[in-house]
Amino acid sequence: MPIRLGDTAFFVATILLVLLVLPVSCLAAENTIGVIMTGDIPYYNDLHKAFMTKLGQHGIASKTEVIVQKPYPDHISLSNAARKFIAMEVDVIVAYGAPAAVAVVREKSKIPMVYAAVYDPFMSELKTRYSTGVYVKLSVSSLLRYLKSLKQIKTLGVVYNSNEEDSVYQFSELTKLAAQYGMKVEGINLKRHQDVQAKLAGSQMDAGFLTGSSVAHMAMGQIIEYAKGRKIPYASFSLGTDARALITLAARPDNQGDKVADKVQKILDGISPDKIRSEAATEIELVFNMKDATSLGMKIPMELVTEATRLIK
Amino acid sequence: MKARHCIPFFLVMAVVVIWPLRAFCEGEVLVGLIPEENIFNQMERHRPLEAYLSKKLGSSVRFTILSRYGDVMDRFMSRKMDGAFFGVFTGVLAVDRIDAEPIARAVNPDGSATVQSYIFVRNDSGIRGVKDMKGKRITFVDRATVTGYLYALSYLRENGVTDPDAFFKDISFTGSHGSTIYAVLDGRADIGTVKSKIFQKLVAKDPTIKEELTIIARSRELPDTTLLLRRDLPQSLRSRIKAVLLGMEKDPEGIEVLRQFEAQKFIEAKKEDFVAFYEIARNAGISVKTYKYK
Repeated sequence: MPIRLGDTAFFVATILLVLLVLPVSCLAAENTIGVIMTGDIPYYNDLHKAFMTKLGQHGIASKTEVIVQKPYPDHISLSNAARKFIAMEVDVIVAYGAPAAVAVVREKSKIPMVYAAVYDPFMSELKTRYSTGVYVKLSVSSLLRYLKSLKQIKTLGVVYNSNEEDSVYQFSELTKLAAQYGMKVEGINLKRHQDVQAKLAGSQMDAGFLTGSSVAHMAMGQIIEYAKGRKIPYASFSLGTDARALITLAARPDNQGDKVADKVQKILDGISPDKIRSEAATEIELVFNMKDATSLGMKIPMELVTEATRLIK
Repeated sequence: MKARHCIPFFLVMAVVVIWPLRAFCEGEVLVGLIPEENIFNQMERHRPLEAYLSKKLGSSVRFTILSRYGDVMDRFMSRKMDGAFFGVFTGVLAVDRIDAEPIARAVNPDGSATVQSYIFVRNDSGIRGVKDMKGKRITFVDRATVTGYLYALSYLRENGVTDPDAFFKDISFTGSHGSTIYAVLDGRADIGTVKSKIFQKLVAKDPTIKEELTIIARSRELPDTTLLLRRDLPQSLRSRIKAVLLGMEKDPEGIEVLRQFEAQKFIEAKKEDFVAFYEIARNAGISVKTYKYK
């Protein structure tokens, strides 16, 4: 049977159209998850790595597009990041850190949100029908207690960021506690990590305390350098992968990443966030950096060493 | 009877008479300490007493920390110890299994010679009773302690919790009372159970701790750490050790040692002191004979 030119053209056009459309429709992700980190710090990156691994174990990663934003930890950048995901109509927003989570809530979107690494006192701000997640209970007083066991502290330097509400809260808690111990507090409000050297110049601190501020942790290398130069002890609320404080009290990021992935899976399965229980991070680490302490000529008392969940030697 | 026939008799008699004196003859009385607080602090507190007893007895007395509560009896036997400062449960075990003799226990600076078990939480935990504990993380000291485990078990059973493994999200054992307090303070656990004396001691050292923690249950009064000695230690030696300890409060040197030991004086201990244990054990659903504490 002769094939007419019109038929051939129609056939070729159909094939071309199928070839053009098929890959998109076949490979397009079933879900889109938007992730906002409060700053680009190792702690949130580790948390995200654990989250992605667990998503893979759930079999979700392959059919899900995960878009990550690491805005600078200030209100405008965080709010812009949240708006971007709302405009994209992602299926779930995952927020690491209280400032990112609060920025999402303030946009009053109905997109479900799963948060992680949110400092417990901020939970009240996040209680909406559309959110659930993992919060962290960390004791400011415990970390201060460990820090003052290294050295008698007259002036405690507290690095915080007035744009990160959780760090402001910790600064205020520390101010109250320090008064009970007869210490003076020197607040170092670090809004940009590039300003750290200027902010530390002229400081009278004889011990340093890094709140949960992401900006403080973005400047951690320089803060450690400064502390080492002046031979003063320093403690932190965030686990770093390379630069570590002498004493760290923090919730394990991997444990939180697992929990976040479990909650995201439930949401993608159609369960409403208000039916998914918010929970506290259960694995808290107390890490003593014996290596740096020794190099600074400080001795972590043996009675405290026995409390550590991890020692860096 | 010919002299050579008497040799076995004398050998047997020598063993019977001299063997119990071996420890003393070897010049050392070995006394174990249960790891109730930070072991470094504990050794520091016991050292002056060790030196004082050695001096007064004219023979070396050595204190050694027993590594774990659960191993206390095994270590006590395997290391051929002459005595130990036992807690309530380990004291009961020592009396029950080797008929050890209670000798003396210290009176605290506040005049008490007893302790309680506390079940405590962080103030900001929102936990105020058993119903709030469901799904939380609880930390104990060791299975072989009353103040750091068995009382909590009895309290939970009385409040309807018969399967703690299913009730709590996580159960852990820290190995010492001090570590249990720090674990709750740091947020590494939600609920802890410890000996009141160690709790009060930490609070005295740092009063801010009291503001952060809430005690939600207290046990009845239980005897504080008690020195028990083996029965095969010569009676004369046991009596002398008891006399030295009970007489410390009248000796200026002894008073100074007591101060460093953080005690007012030593008082005589008796088997009956441990009676309170049996009620807790009954409520906790355990029997000393069959309880697997390791």
